[in-house]
Amino acid sequence: MKLQDIISSGLLELYAAGIATEEEMLEVEEGIAQYPEVAAELKAISSGMEAYVNAYAIVPAAGVKEKIFSQINTVENGKRNTVGKSQVPGAKVIDINTFWKLTAAASVVLLIASIGLNIITYYKYSEADKNLLVATQTLGGLEEKNKIMEAGMNVVQSKYSVPVSLKGQQAAPGAAAKIFWMQNTGEVFIDPSNLPEAPEGKQYQLWAFVDGKPVDGGMILTSTKGDKYRIQKMKSFGKVEAFAVTLETEKGNQSPKGPIYVMGNM
Amino acid sequence: MEVTQKYGEDELVILLQKQDQQAFSYLYDNYASALNGIIFRLVEDKTLSEDILQEAFIKIWNNFSSYDKSKGRLFTWMMNLTRNLAIDTLRSKGYKKQNKISGDENSVNNLQDTSSGMDKFDSMGIRKQLSNLKPDQRIVIDLAYFNGFTQDEIAKEIGIPLGTVKTRMRTAILELRRILQYT
Repeated sequence: MKLQDIISSGLLELYAAGIATEEEMLEVEEGIAQYPEVAAELKAISSGMEAYVNAYAIVPAAGVKEKIFSQINTVENGKRNTVGKSQVPGAKVIDINTFWKLTAAASVVLLIASIGLNIITYYKYSEADKNLLVATQTLGGLEEKNKIMEAGMNVVQSKYSVPVSLKGQQAAPGAAAKIFWMQNTGEVFIDPSNLPEAPEGKQYQLWAFVDGKPVDGGMILTSTKGDKYRIQKMKSFGKVEAFAVTLETEKGNQSPKGPIYVMGNM
Repeated sequence: MEVTQKYGEDELVILLQKQDQQAFSYLYDNYASALNGIIFRLVEDKTLSEDILQEAFIKIWNNFSSYDKSKGRLFTWMMNLTRNLAIDTLRSKGYKKQNKISGDENSVNNLQDTSSGMDKFDSMGIRKQLSNLKPDQRIVIDLAYFNGFTQDEIAKEIGIPLGTVKTRMRTAILELRRILQYT
C-alpha cells in the first residue's frame, strides 16, 4: 500500500482503537516499519485519542494503587522465597489472588471427592473380595463334591459293576444299601446313603459271607462331614455269597456282634 | 514521597521492562484515571471499575514483556488491554449493558464528583472543546474506543456499510485532532 493510502484509509485509526482485523494489523505494521510518516501519523492519532480519553478520566479511590503494589510485591517476595523459608511469626498476611484461591478451593473439593470415591471403591473392592472368597470356597466345595459324585457315578455306570441290593432287616426295616461288585477287578463298593445315621460311638461295618462265614469287609464312613453318602471302596473278596451290614462299636469287630441292618445275596 | 519524576515514553518502557516499581508508580499516577474512566464507561459501577482497574495494572505489570514498542504507543496498548479486560468481565458476569451512546452527561456528572487535583489534564476545558465534535463523529469514536465494538458491530449500530467504517473513523478522529490540536 502506498504511503498516502495507508494514512488516508482510516486503518491507523482502527489500529489505534485496537479493532483492526489481523490482516489490517499486519498492513499497518508493515507501513510503520516502511514509512516514518505512518509511524508519526499513528502517534498523532494515539495522542489525540489519549487526550479524548483523558477528558473522561475518573480518579480511582486512593486504596487501589496500594492494593496493586501490595499484590505485585507479594508475587515478587514469593519469587524470592523459592527455598521454602518457614513463615516468620507475625509476618504479613499474603493476599493470594482470586485465581489461586479458586484453584486451591477446587483442589480441596477434588481431593475430598477423590477420598470419598476411594473409600467407596475400597468398600466395593473388599466386598467383592469377600464375595470372591465365598465363591471360591463354594466352588471348591462343589468341585470336591463333584469329584466324589463323579467317582460314584463311574462305579455305578461301569459296565463291569454288578449291583447287589441289601434290604432292611429287623433292626431297621426301612434301611437299604447297595453293593457294586466289579467283575473285572473284584473291587467292592458300597452306597450307604439309605442307612440311618449311626448313633454316637457306633459305626457300620460290612461283612461278606464266604463259605458261610462272615468276613470283615471294612468300616463304612457315615459320620464324617460330606462323606455320609459317598459311594466308598471296601475290601475285596474272592467268592462271596452274601453281604451284610451291622452296627458295631467304633473301629469295628473281628466278628459281627451288633444287629444286622441290611443284607442281600449275590 | 519523592518528587514525581518525569519520564519520556521510551525511558518508561525500558524501566518497566526491568520491572522498575518507581516507573510503575509513575505509570499509575499518569494513566490510572484515564483507564478508570474507560472502564467506568463500560461497566458503570465505581467499585467494579476499580476492581477491574486493579486487575488491569497487575496484568500490565506481569505482561509488560508482551508490549511491542514498534507497534504503537504504550497508552494505546494499556487502553486496549484494559478495555478488553472490562469487556471480558462484563461478558463473564453475564452483564448486558445497554450502549449509552449519548450518555456523556452521566460521565460528566460523575467526573465532577470524583475529580481531584491529581488530574493533570484540563478535563473540563477539553470537554468543552469536544462539544464541537459532531454527534455522528463522536458516536463512531466512542463505539470503537470505549465500547470496543468491532467494525462490523459499528456498521450495524449506526447503520452504515462496513466499508465506510474506516473512512468515518478517519474523518471523526481528524476532526478530534483538529479540535485538540494534535495534528
